[in-house]
Amino acid sequence: MKNCVVKVSNLVKIFDKRKIIKNISFDVSENSVVGILGKNGAGKTTLLGMLMGLILPSSGKIEILGKDLKKKKNEILKKINFQSPYVDLPKKMTVEQNLYFYSRLYGIKNFKDIVNDLVDQLKMKDLIKKNYGSLSAGQKTKVNLCKALINNPKLLLLDEPTASLDPETSIFIREFLLKFQKKNNSSILITSHNLDEIQSICSKIILLKFGTVVSDGNLNEILKTKNYSTLQDFFLGQG
Amino acid sequence: MIGRILALIIRYKTISFGSFPRLLSIFYWPSVQILFWGFFSNFLIENNSTPFIGVLSIILSAVVLWDILFRGQLGLTMSFLEEIWSRNLTNLFITPLREYELVLSLIIISSLRTLIGLTPAIFMANFFFNFHLFELGFYLIFFFFNLIAIGWSIGFIVSGLVLRYGHSFEELAWAIIFILLPFSCVYYPLDSLPLIMQKIAQIFPPVYVFESMRKILIDNQIDFQQLYKIVILNSSYLIFSILFFLKMIKSSRNEGLLINQGE
Repeated sequence: MKNCVVKVSNLVKIFDKRKIIKNISFDVSENSVVGILGKNGAGKTTLLGMLMGLILPSSGKIEILGKDLKKKKNEILKKINFQSPYVDLPKKMTVEQNLYFYSRLYGIKNFKDIVNDLVDQLKMKDLIKKNYGSLSAGQKTKVNLCKALINNPKLLLLDEPTASLDPETSIFIREFLLKFQKKNNSSILITSHNLDEIQSICSKIILLKFGTVVSDGNLNEILKTKNYSTLQDFFLGQG
Repeated sequence: MIGRILALIIRYKTISFGSFPRLLSIFYWPSVQILFWGFFSNFLIENNSTPFIGVLSIILSAVVLWDILFRGQLGLTMSFLEEIWSRNLTNLFITPLREYELVLSLIIISSLRTLIGLTPAIFMANFFFNFHLFELGFYLIFFFFNLIAIGWSIGFIVSGLVLRYGHSFEELAWAIIFILLPFSCVYYPLDSLPLIMQKIAQIFPPVYVFESMRKILIDNQIDFQQLYKIVILNSSYLIFSILFFLKMIKSSRNEGLLINQGE
C-alpha cells in the first residue's frame, strides 16, 4: 500500500461567518497526480492555500509527508512548492536573479548547476538574463514552473499550470511535469479548468462543490461507474 | 537561517541599488536637504538674524538626524511593500522563510539604505559648510541607532497595516513621518510647543533625541535621564511594532490575504 503524501481530515474554513470549506477529508498517495476540480467559488484556491500554510484552517487537520502542517510547517515547506499564473515573481529582477533568490531561500547548495539544468530542460535559456517584468504571460508561466521545481519538491501544487500557454507549449509542459513526477517520485496536486488536461495527466480526481467533496477517487473508475465517457461530461453532469 | 536572510538582503539590495535611478532616489533627497538648510543657515548668520554662532551646526545635525529616522522607516516599509507590489508574497510565504528572518532582513536592508543614503549628504555638509557631524562624538552612534529604531517601529506598523488592511494604508508610508515631525522638536526646543502638544510629544522618543542633541551642541552637556528615556521608550515601541507586524501576518493568514495579494 502506498504512503499518503497529503492527508486532510475534517477540514473547515470559515471566512466572515461563511463556511468556504465544509468538513472535508481526503488523501493523496505518493507518486500520484491528482486533479482538484470545481467551479469558481468551489473552494479550490482556499484548499490549496491551506495545504501550503498560507491560510489557517478554522478546524481540522492537515498532514503532509507524514507531518502535521501546524506543528512542522517549515520542515514541510522545504519539500513542497507551488506554481500559479496568478502569482508573480519579483518584477525588477532578472529571471536568473529570481531563480537564485528562491534557491537560497530553499537552502539549495549547488543551486547554479540546478538552475542551469532546469533552464535547459524547460528550454528557457533565452529568458535567463531578461527582467521578469518584461516577460509575456506564457514566458512567466515557464519561469514560475522552473521556480516551483527548484527544490525538487516531493509535493507540487499547481494552479492552472498551462493557463495562457499556446497549445504546443502546454503539451510540452504537461509531458515535462509527468516526466519530472516519475523521475522524482513526486506527487502533483493540480487545479485546472482545462478538463482535457486533467483527464490526460491525472489518475485521481477530487471534485469540490460549494466547499464539500462530492467525488473522490480513481478517474477511470468514476467515469466507468457513473457511465460517462469524458471528464467534461461528468463535470457538466454534476450541475 | 543565515542563508535565507542573505537571500533577502541580496534581493532588496538588487531592487534598491540595482540601477542608477534607484540608487539616486535613495541619496538625492538627504543631499538636497543638507544643501537647502545649509545655505539658508549661512544666510541667517551672514545677516546677523540669529544670535547663535552654532546655528549651522545645530540645524545641519538636526537635518541629518531626522533623515536617519525618515530613511530608516522608508527603507523598511518600501522593501516590504515591494513584495506586495510585485505580487510575490505567496511565493515568499511558501518558502521555509521564518517570520523573524523576514523581520531581521528588513532591519538590515533599512540600515544599509540609510547609511548609503546619508553618506553623500554628510560629505556635502563637510565640503560646503565645514560641518562635522562627528562633533556629537559617541552620542552620534547612540542617536543613530535610536533614531533608526524609531524608523523601524513606524515601518513595521505601516507594513503590517498595508498587509492586513490593503493599499489604502500605503499613503501612511509617506505621510506618517510628517505627522510625527512637529512633535519631534527637530528644529526647535520642546518649550516652544503649546502645552498640549508638549504632552503628546513626550510620549514619543524623537523629542528626547533632539533635545539631547541641542544640549550637547549648545551647552556641551549630557542629560543622562533623557538618554535613559530614549532607550526605554524605543525598546518598548520596537518590541510592540514587531509583535504587531507578526500579528498582522497571522491575521492575514487567517483571512486568506496572502494568496493573490498584489497591485
